[in-house]
Amino acid sequence: MAVDLDRCTGCQACVVACQAENNVSLNLEEAFLQRRAKAWIRIERYWEGEFPQGKARFLPVLCQHCNNAPCEPVCPVYATYHNPEGLNVQVYPRCIGTRFCANNCPYQVRFFNFQEHVWPPPLNNGLNPHVTVRSRGIMEKCTFCLQRINRGKREARAQGRPVRDGDIVPACAQACPTEALVFGDRNDPQSRVARLLQAASARAYRLLEEMGTDPNVVYLMKVERLERS
Amino acid sequence: MSEASLTSEPQGREPGIAPGVAAAGLSPLLRGGWVFWLAVAVLGAIFLAGLLSVVSLWQAGFAHRAPWGYYAAAFSILLSTVGAAPLVSAGLRFTGAHWRRPLARASELFAVAGLLILAWFWPLLRLVPASQPQSSLWFGWPGAPHLWDTLVIAGLTLCGLALLYVGAIPDFAAARDQGARGRRLFALLALSWQGGERQWRALRAALTALGACYFLAFVLAQTLISTDFAQSLVPGWQDSLFPAYNVVSGLQGGLATLIVVLFLVRWWGGLGAYIGREQFWALGKLLLALCLLWFYFWWSGFIVLWYGRRPIEELVLQLFIAGPYLWAFLPAFVLSFLAPFLVLLWNGVRRSILGPTFAALLVLAGLLFDRIRLYVAAFSVEEAGPVLQALPAPRLPQAGDWLVLAAAVAGVALLYLLATRLIPSLSRWEVAEGEQLRVERAFLRRKVTVIAKPD
Amino acid sequence: MEERRILSDTEINLDLLAPVYGTPRWFWPVVGLLGLVVAAAVGAFIWMLTQGLVVTGLNRPVFWGFMITNFVFWVGISHAGVMISSILRLAQAEWRRPVTRAAELLTILALLTAALFPIIHSGRPWRTLYWVFPYDFARGIWPNVRSPLVWDPAAIFSYLTGATLFIYVALLPDLATLRDRSLGWRHYFYGALSLGWRGMSRQWRLQALVGILLSALILPVFISVHSVVSWDFAVATAVEGWHATIFAPYFVLGAIHSGVSAVVTVMALVRYLYGWKAYIRPEHFDALGRLLVAVGLAWFYFFALEFAFGLYGQDGPEVALREMVVFQMPWAGLFIVFLLTAFFIPVPLWLFRRVRRNIPLMLLLSVLVNIGMWLERFLIIVPGLARKEPFTFVWGSYAPSIVEILLIAGSFALVCLGFLVFSRLFPLIPLYDQKEGQVLRQEVEVGRARVKAVIREE
Repeated sequence: MAVDLDRCTGCQACVVACQAENNVSLNLEEAFLQRRAKAWIRIERYWEGEFPQGKARFLPVLCQHCNNAPCEPVCPVYATYHNPEGLNVQVYPRCIGTRFCANNCPYQVRFFNFQEHVWPPPLNNGLNPHVTVRSRGIMEKCTFCLQRINRGKREARAQGRPVRDGDIVPACAQACPTEALVFGDRNDPQSRVARLLQAASARAYRLLEEMGTDPNVVYLMKVERLERS
Repeated sequence: MSEASLTSEPQGREPGIAPGVAAAGLSPLLRGGWVFWLAVAVLGAIFLAGLLSVVSLWQAGFAHRAPWGYYAAAFSILLSTVGAAPLVSAGLRFTGAHWRRPLARASELFAVAGLLILAWFWPLLRLVPASQPQSSLWFGWPGAPHLWDTLVIAGLTLCGLALLYVGAIPDFAAARDQGARGRRLFALLALSWQGGERQWRALRAALTALGACYFLAFVLAQTLISTDFAQSLVPGWQDSLFPAYNVVSGLQGGLATLIVVLFLVRWWGGLGAYIGREQFWALGKLLLALCLLWFYFWWSGFIVLWYGRRPIEELVLQLFIAGPYLWAFLPAFVLSFLAPFLVLLWNGVRRSILGPTFAALLVLAGLLFDRIRLYVAAFSVEEAGPVLQALPAPRLPQAGDWLVLAAAVAGVALLYLLATRLIPSLSRWEVAEGEQLRVERAFLRRKVTVIAKPD
Repeated sequence: MEERRILSDTEINLDLLAPVYGTPRWFWPVVGLLGLVVAAAVGAFIWMLTQGLVVTGLNRPVFWGFMITNFVFWVGISHAGVMISSILRLAQAEWRRPVTRAAELLTILALLTAALFPIIHSGRPWRTLYWVFPYDFARGIWPNVRSPLVWDPAAIFSYLTGATLFIYVALLPDLATLRDRSLGWRHYFYGALSLGWRGMSRQWRLQALVGILLSALILPVFISVHSVVSWDFAVATAVEGWHATIFAPYFVLGAIHSGVSAVVTVMALVRYLYGWKAYIRPEHFDALGRLLVAVGLAWFYFFALEFAFGLYGQDGPEVALREMVVFQMPWAGLFIVFLLTAFFIPVPLWLFRRVRRNIPLMLLLSVLVNIGMWLERFLIIVPGLARKEPFTFVWGSYAPSIVEILLIAGSFALVCLGFLVFSRLFPLIPLYDQKEGQVLRQEVEVGRARVKAVIREE
């Protein structure tokens, strides 16, 4: 996935879309006060400069699906592991909730279900039937919308063709009005994400690169406009 | 029952002292003669040759650190062998182990070689940048690190000499009283020692205090040297265990040095009657424990960096373990831990004289490789900056480097030999005291050893 | 100083078996009180089980709090037994004799208590079976041996096994003594436990041999336990203040520091409660005090290294973390209390012989050390989590809830309760060891004085 920060406006549409798509629990006021709110993707907001010239900077942070994920080796029961496609997946039935993975995640994108979550009617009718409703005591995090990936592959197989670029779009990327989030197969040089990264390679970086986690999410730096003095 | 009345006993009427103790305690280690002077001449020649090599390094200047790598390694080896050897006696005196008595002096005589450590340190000072590198323990203190490191090394040397001297005062007095050759000098050295109760109490207090000081100075010296002269030279290397690792491997080296020297002293020094299987057995156990501790400290540092998988940490591990210095790491690992561990595992081996000596030789060889891999590698990094960018090429020892290493060994041996001419090589009063506190007695149908424990 | 008397075997039997034969008046009220605390903790646990961890003070990013602190603390305490028993036995220290059993018992009780906490603390305690056992083998899923959380149970269970064998082998002669001096069900109970001990010389030889072997073999396990616990934290790169190579030996020394202090506490209490003044004597406290000076100083060296090397890299977040711990309330308050109680009050005082032989003062100082060491673990674990730096929206803080406090209190009550139950069934001071010490005791004439002496054990 590529995140073009030059396009991100901090509108939070991705956050809402993710919340709706993935049955992420309701973040009531109480949850915020307890610091137990969940957001599989969140927009970090930074202020630069003092008031009149102040600028807001936005940084969407989601699970980076690291190739050397620090969360994976520390799980005692293999509840978090690397699947053959390079996704960092969480196996809910396997998880016993030691929370070591969350401690060892430098991006802080892993969330713990401190309690059994309820969706008061009529919100319970809005739950996505393709996504597990997580019980209490386990970890959860961004899956790159695994259900959409599986569906894309299934449909492609049904039509007897390989998965095409654009078949699979996670909810956040789909909802992004400025197309700042681009999802695709970076190994395919013709894919949109590969071409974008190729064209903007000078702006590309990855979060906390010095940690050596080798993330699969690439950020493209914001283009700074020179102030005319 | 005060302990002073107990210990003042041997000095006055000398009731319990076997005549052999008195004689052996006062004779020089190698009984003069041409063997002694030949040894001195050979060692002196080696030392001078090494010195020439150091001079050539000096002329090449201090702009580049890399050529000095082996010199720095030699310094660390000196600190970790002869610097640590007196600690064996000081530490065992703390725990009150009786078997230490015959080897106390042999161990403390190494303090004389502390002079070499001090001299050796001097050129090194110019190799550490005065402006603080990014990572440093000093946080911009005035005079750091040069002033403070020098003070610590000097303190270590002085403390060791004081420990040696204070521990030898009763023996100097005995030499004076028995009219040994050069009794005027001994009278001067003995500081009007009469063996009164107050004097014994003061001596004991001084030995305890100096032993503690020496230990602290040693720990401090290893901490500062390993940080300022190795760790801070490699950008991005942050390893809080490294100073403690140096302390532990230093203790291991000091113990091994002592074992080897005891073997030699037994062989040529005529102390076979005092230093026997009991000492080697006990020292062998200690060496086994320290070999295990070596592994433990190495492994604790390794696993944390290895598991962390941060690029800078992987690079540091590459540098010191798997990369350009693999040729030094492998023998260090085998010789410092694996081989002596497998040898000393067997009680039969520990309970001999050759067994611990062999293991000690292995450990010393391992220490050589270990310090080469650490210091030569650290000195060969010339880049500055927040993190290490690339690995330097390995630096294999040249002829000059070998000479430098040999000079360190020869210098120590030379100083040690000369010191034995002046200072009785057996801590006579401690042995005598031990003989009084130890009685063979019949118990039921057996003969047992009874050890008195004055508290 | 009271004179050291030679005690007859009968006297030793009567004195040391008194708590087994009869109950002191304070016994049942104290058991009841401790039982109440334990019951409250069990209640809190059940409440937590039904509600989820929402009833704790844990949050994002402070996922580990009081319970993990307590786990580390009790594992630390458990280092007392082996430290005392095995090292002192190998070193043939005579003063170990009355101390060993209580210390080993402390090891076992502390380990059992400690082992509860990671399980309680997990999100789904009822599914933790496959944390340790390869239960899902039908699907080829095994515990992840790369995880320090799998090394933990391995180390703890090895240590528990070793320590149990240790205490059991040392109990055998005493169990036989009890068997010969009891009637009814107790006779059969002790008879079965004493495994046919008849006091034959071959049995004694084997018992001594097993004791020495276990002492030597358990030492690496003993070192490994707290090292493994420390790696739970040290391998984590993402938390400031955790990723330090020094953690393993630092934790082990801290464990010995707190463990030996706990032995002092237990000895002082037992001496007071059962009136064993002739057995647990000032010189034992003196020896433990001297040991503690050495351990305390070594621990402080590692603490200083850990702290200095936190600042060494002059890495922004790490420096900020230390600054928060040292200067910002409430951390600063805890930090000062920790430093004073763990090191600066007790260790200088222990330098004085008069303090080391003053038993009430030793009791007080040993309790202080453990207050300090509990705080030390807390200050290692929590501030780093509370300040997980990289992004703006994740800083947190932590305050324990009543549930966690009850669980902590319950753990202390549980260990005390275990001690009392044990003391009702088995002697807390080894009888045979005490008698052996009497036999080996000698006197030697040095000059004009008579000095206490001991036969050297082979």
